[in-house]
Amino acid sequence: MSTSPEFTQIVNKDKSDNFITPLWRQRFNIFLNNKLAVASVLFLFSMIVACFLVPLLYHTNQTDQNLALSSPWNQAPSAHHWLGTDSNGFDVLGRIFFGGEYSLTLGILAGFITIIFGTIYGMIAGFFGGIVDTVLMRILDALLSIPYIFLLITMVTLFTRSTVFLILIIGLTGWWGNARIIRGDAMLIRKLEYSQASSAMGASRLHIIFRHVYPNSISNIVTVATFSVADAILYLSALGFLGLGIQPPQTDWGTMLQNGASQITNGYWWEVYPLAFFFVLVVVSINYIGDALRDVFEVRLLER
Amino acid sequence: MIAYVIRRLIQSFVVLLIVLLVTFTLPYLEPGGILAPAYIVLGTHANKVTVAQWGVQHGMNHPFFIRFWSYLTQVFLHFDLGHSFKQNMSVWQIIALYIPRTVWLALTSLLLTIFIAIPLGLVQASRRNTTFDYAATGTAFVLYAMPSFLLCILMLQTFSFGILHLPAQPPSGVAPWAMFTDPLPFVLPVACLTLLGVAGISRFMRGTVLEVLVQDYIRTAKAKGCSKRQVLFRHAFRNALGPIVTILGLSLPALFGGALIIESVFNYSGLGIQTVNAAQLLDIPTVLGITLLVSILTLMGNLLADIALGIVNPRVRVEAR
Repeated sequence: MSTSPEFTQIVNKDKSDNFITPLWRQRFNIFLNNKLAVASVLFLFSMIVACFLVPLLYHTNQTDQNLALSSPWNQAPSAHHWLGTDSNGFDVLGRIFFGGEYSLTLGILAGFITIIFGTIYGMIAGFFGGIVDTVLMRILDALLSIPYIFLLITMVTLFTRSTVFLILIIGLTGWWGNARIIRGDAMLIRKLEYSQASSAMGASRLHIIFRHVYPNSISNIVTVATFSVADAILYLSALGFLGLGIQPPQTDWGTMLQNGASQITNGYWWEVYPLAFFFVLVVVSINYIGDALRDVFEVRLLER
Repeated sequence: MIAYVIRRLIQSFVVLLIVLLVTFTLPYLEPGGILAPAYIVLGTHANKVTVAQWGVQHGMNHPFFIRFWSYLTQVFLHFDLGHSFKQNMSVWQIIALYIPRTVWLALTSLLLTIFIAIPLGLVQASRRNTTFDYAATGTAFVLYAMPSFLLCILMLQTFSFGILHLPAQPPSGVAPWAMFTDPLPFVLPVACLTLLGVAGISRFMRGTVLEVLVQDYIRTAKAKGCSKRQVLFRHAFRNALGPIVTILGLSLPALFGGALIIESVFNYSGLGIQTVNAAQLLDIPTVLGITLLVSILTLMGNLLADIALGIVNPRVRVEAR
């Protein structure tokens, strides 16, 4: 394609040799322009790094069940314990990061498993349509009408409460809502002109799924994945709060908050508020990243 | 309309059968299989022969589908949700007392959510990008990201131990409708559940109204000289109602899930607390029975929402085939 140099210069704002900025670059720029989203990413990243790094630098005993016998418990913040100690004598600041390791890792892993299953199921239902879609969707309706927290409680009652199992159970049961969203996308894209054209030219179904349907619904998949991670973290914390979460000596944020909640009436604020602050900020930033990603994939915002 | 209702009824029934299949199959997946309760009744060291005999007595040696069929007749004809071997009572006995309490809690909060979230979303959308809109959206965003129990803890700290000194725990030995005769102790649990609902629904309402406001018929309404109020209430509100009714129906599982957490925080004896207690006792039939019951309540709610949708929006009756 031949274009006048002036035209190229007008269209191409960052003076590269291409006709227009590559798509991923445009999207990246849109994301970078959202300052709050960038801040969220930085915060989340540093929080994950901190959860693994801080316990190595700030040495505290987080596993001794009899710590309260030798160490002061329910102690207010001091130079020795920056955020005080909890009712078991554990250092609160150290424990926030110690528990965060589990909360964040489990949330992220479970979130990713949900998106894989949701994508496969949704793609199959949406792409094939007809009777396949009807059957798959009625099954989803049934599963979605079981309140999720009740189902989780049933699962941890039936099986064990090991860390791996918790990841698997949230991962294997949390994808139903995702499947519905992705199915809607697949249905829409299957009927669009480029899929129809591809099909008319003799492309196989698999080719259409992988070449057209999947790449064009990636925006929703990425967005939904982000929210899934946030949901997984929240559900995990709810289980922890009900005393059905990770077993000691490990801990997670939900279990810690439950511990703190029973102490807060005594005025031991440091056992709840600092952790609550980090927790809410983590989930808010994940959700905000999700919102920002949705904007990134909005075609209307791209230069054409 | 009748055809639509019948179609939805059949659909719900099929969905209910699938839910029943799930709750029926889950014990099979348990490490001990369906004979696990035998070890509760006969002791952990019971020998294999006794366990097998116990299994035969309770019809556990029958094939899967025969057992499923008798489970169905049990549930539908005798309203029998199973037997708790841990507490040696029928599951129905354990939960019958608590259903009204949970349903009243959930219903009151749902009604309050509707009356707060819908107007709120409408006002936010009509005054888009004002300080009020930003404040409400931001608050909803934070509430939405907060674990429900954390909200309860903060509310308790503020309004029970801080200012106002509201009772922290509703009484348990009172009639289910005590919420209306002596509302003060119930204010905090209901408020927490309502806030959780409002955070989700108002956000959705705002989005829906914003989408409606850019439609052609709104421009037409403005062009023919409707006042701002008329445009908002007669045109935008009515068209946003459809999606909102759907999302209200879909949010029912979250409502019951929220009720479970709130019951545990406020020690409000309802189905939620019973579930958590049963789970800690590893009492599987009770947990499954309550889960099934709550699912049925959700399905009924969804059905009602869909019928309501058919009434407010005639297009749905034709489209939903």
